[in-house]
Amino acid sequence: MSWVVWRQYRAAAAITAALVAAFAALIVVTGVQAASQWHSALAACTASRTCGNLSSSTIFLGSHAIGFLVIMTLGVPAVLGILAGAPLLAHEFETGTNQYAWTQSVTRRRWLAVKAGWLLLAAAAIGGIVSALVTWWSGPNNALQANAFNPGRFDIMGIVPVGYAVFATALGITAGALLRRTLPAIAVTLAGFIAVRAVIFIALRRSFMTPVTSYFPIGSGFTPARSAWQLTSGFVGANGQPISIPQSTNGQVLGTGVEGIPVSSLPASCQAAAGHGPLTRATYHAVLSCAQAHGIRGYVTYQPASRYWAFQGIETGIFLLLAAALIAVAFAVVSRRDA
Amino acid sequence: MTWLTWRQYRAQAAVAALVLAAFATVLLVTGLQLAAQWHTLLASCTASRTCGNLHEGGTPLSNPLGWDLAVLSLMAPALFGVLVGAPLVAHEFETRTSDFAWAQSITRTHWLAVKVGWVLLAAAVWGGAIAALVTWWSGPRNAAFGNAFQANYFDQQGLVPVAYSVFATALGIAAGATARRTLPAIAIVIGGFIGMRLWVSQGLRMHFMTPVTTFYGVAANFNPPAGSINTGGGLINKAGQLMTGSLGNVMIDGVPSTSLPAACRQLIPASASGPNGPSGATLNAVYGCLQKAGYRQFISYQPISRYWAFQGIETGIYLAVAAALIAITFYAVLRRDA
Repeated sequence: MSWVVWRQYRAAAAITAALVAAFAALIVVTGVQAASQWHSALAACTASRTCGNLSSSTIFLGSHAIGFLVIMTLGVPAVLGILAGAPLLAHEFETGTNQYAWTQSVTRRRWLAVKAGWLLLAAAAIGGIVSALVTWWSGPNNALQANAFNPGRFDIMGIVPVGYAVFATALGITAGALLRRTLPAIAVTLAGFIAVRAVIFIALRRSFMTPVTSYFPIGSGFTPARSAWQLTSGFVGANGQPISIPQSTNGQVLGTGVEGIPVSSLPASCQAAAGHGPLTRATYHAVLSCAQAHGIRGYVTYQPASRYWAFQGIETGIFLLLAAALIAVAFAVVSRRDA
Repeated sequence: MTWLTWRQYRAQAAVAALVLAAFATVLLVTGLQLAAQWHTLLASCTASRTCGNLHEGGTPLSNPLGWDLAVLSLMAPALFGVLVGAPLVAHEFETRTSDFAWAQSITRTHWLAVKVGWVLLAAAVWGGAIAALVTWWSGPRNAAFGNAFQANYFDQQGLVPVAYSVFATALGIAAGATARRTLPAIAIVIGGFIGMRLWVSQGLRMHFMTPVTTFYGVAANFNPPAGSINTGGGLINKAGQLMTGSLGNVMIDGVPSTSLPAACRQLIPASASGPNGPSGATLNAVYGCLQKAGYRQFISYQPISRYWAFQGIETGIYLAVAAALIAITFYAVLRRDA
């Protein structure tokens, strides 16, 4: 059976290998350039003690076109599901070749087990190779921007792309088994893949583990260490009740930027201390100590960077479980159907 | 023939209409929220005279669901090309229904012209409806952030999505007519669409028209009109050579001092290499020296006023390529024995 699978897929395997090799060449060449840029920037800023100024706005690593290509690897699992998964059973049904394939000495279950097994293994390998290249290429950018945990970046690095690739392929196989036609199976694979990915990354991922909440004194700020995934931030009163932040600030703000709280959100007694017009040094401190006396604190809710691999593991596990359930459905359909 | 085309595609048309309706509902609901946010924001920042401080980081003008759909709309053309374009001729060959279709009283040219014409029209409507919704939805964000000309935003709005959609569908039809099998045709659509889009948006687009270049003094500041795209810039010497170097001990106009002429470099004291940088007096001295030596700064940019010209040019390119692909399809279908 393995030999049959190889004969059926050797052309597809050759094309895929060529595409992956071309992608690897692009990634390695531009990745080496970005890494050397990063090292010379680090050397220069260490010498001049200005490494604190390094950010994505003062230094650009890599190339825009390759950056887009890297983001597009988000679509690799869907392509595998469409081109490899969906036709696996649907094309046999469409051309009637299943009647031939299922009347041989090899049982139907064994036929499906070997075909689906090799295909899922290939999908995992392609997802893994692409993800390994992207993860290595993104190294300097991860160090510079500390955003590896953010939605969109998390999804193209580490081990989750392997889970996505296996899931999309399994979805294609099962959709083909149920619908028995290739084009509808392709449409269902695409829609199902996007929908499941969206539900998990919009609604579920943030609560895989209880987020950590850190409180900071009003007037100062707090930034979670390294590439944490920041979920929400705001201000609470003495009893922990949230303080609503209106969009009208009247120009009077304690603290700076997103860590600042408008004076108009504070209790009336503190607002009285602020007076009219811009805050002076004296009124700023009067308002600050008044707000602190009322127990007002800022908070940041986040998933710490140390949980990165735990989250990768949980998300990969979810997609592998879904894939296993889908494959079980495909086996049930194929075993039950009359030849 | 038109009736036949409708009979063949009515199921797909119903599914596409449902998907569009769902898409429109989400964008309308979130778009109205966005517009309301924007009006509150404008009212409050006008009251406090802080409207100059609006920027993407500090402005709560977003809706994750609508935003994700707007980004996903970038692949709507490929979807049409994969599901409608690729099978149009290829599926006839695969199931041999071409033998039947081409042995009727209607000529092969007529058969192909009617099917391709209606399907391309449907592709244009699909792309246009999605683009109209996304353009409307993005209105407040365009006004607040001025980024409609940037890559990816430019590609979701205005006219270009219509041309992308027609192109992807024509690519699918041509790939199916030459490869004669649906799955390889689908693979060609995915690869060809992404390749062409990347090539045009990353390689060609900024060269559609010669960028405007503005020269200004070493001590001066110049910003192109808001929303324009910078294509280059920096410090140049009297001969017009660009001074380079990305990071150094002391930066003057974004250039490390080691790249400057020795006469100006010696005006910088050793104390300037600290974390605070050179003092104002040092900078003025160096600027005076550079000015005397004929140094200038320049910025090249594509002004925002060219937005619709660029939309038109890009639309024209994709429609021309689509026309060429349809010509290939006719050639492939007419040449082939029934």
